[in-house]
Amino acid sequence: MEINRLQLDALREIGNIGSGHAATALSTMLNRRIEMSVPEIKAIPFQEAASVMGELDIPQAVIYVKVEGEAPGKAVFFIPLESAQILVQALFNSDENYNLFENEMAQSALMEMGNIMVSSFIIALTEFSKVPLAPSVPALAVDMVGAIFDAIILEDGVLEDTVIFINTHLTGIPKIEGKFVFLPDEGSLTKLLGALGV
Amino acid sequence: MNNVISVGMADLKVAKSPNILMTAGLGSCIGICIHDPFRKVGGMAHIMLPNSNGNDSNPAKYADTAVELLIKEIINLGGSKTRLRAKIAGGAQMFSFAGKPPVLKIGDRNAEAVVAELKRLGIPLLVSDVGGSFGRTIHFDVGSGALKVRTINHGEKVI
Repeated sequence: MEINRLQLDALREIGNIGSGHAATALSTMLNRRIEMSVPEIKAIPFQEAASVMGELDIPQAVIYVKVEGEAPGKAVFFIPLESAQILVQALFNSDENYNLFENEMAQSALMEMGNIMVSSFIIALTEFSKVPLAPSVPALAVDMVGAIFDAIILEDGVLEDTVIFINTHLTGIPKIEGKFVFLPDEGSLTKLLGALGV
Repeated sequence: MNNVISVGMADLKVAKSPNILMTAGLGSCIGICIHDPFRKVGGMAHIMLPNSNGNDSNPAKYADTAVELLIKEIINLGGSKTRLRAKIAGGAQMFSFAGKPPVLKIGDRNAEAVVAELKRLGIPLLVSDVGGSFGRTIHFDVGSGALKVRTINHGEKVI
């Protein structure tokens, strides 16, 4: 579906609020001041989504949370491996180089941090739109980003056509970036935008 | 010179030797590769879902429409239907959720649908590298029929 400028502004505001929540939660978790900015937000058809992900066979850490409630969908946080490594090291207060593909402790730390970030955006979406949404249990995969992305969008055997991308940058620890992606189920986007009054 | 032609999601391409067809980051999708070893022409489709359910907006997206279209385009490029042979890769399950019944696994359903289509159309399936819980990037040499499957932590092989 087409998204107009007003609607995009509303989504950007949600992105800002969500990243604010995420930064606060991460600051507490990592015990240092983290700030988060949203340099980019867009709503695009899924075919174009691949191009936003960068190289499709580069591995990334991906946290996937199903969103339940009145405007259900899928929320995903993509973290490049270098950034994921820095996050895990910050959490464990260690310089060790963790094997993110195999180390279960590192994976569970990543899943927890990813879950916090995803949930922060979902809470912001709910606060702003007043449409009740609730994140469910998170899942983590560390593999080719394109492979993970296609598995998520196709999980239910249907294709939603519009994907919302919120690019985030974290400052406070060096070189951290991530992408938050919301894939609304059919009808959810209309409902959310309607609730936002745009 | 070997030219690498990229095949995107829900995309389908055909080419003549010495071209290489490539698709990156297959998860639950299937990369199907078909070629005629004598005329050295072939093609690849990046299939996303098993059934089109009558939706013909993009035939390359669905197993029940993509395989037939791929064969047709290879024949248009000079391939002979009786010589065509196929290889497939992909169909992984990238996430596992507790309590989810296995019948819903889209990767498996995609692989089954593609195999059924090949059977219906009478194209021999030489080899398949499907399933697992990891992504694959594939390169298909339309002349030799060599299919290179690359993964992050599960090695690289030519099938």
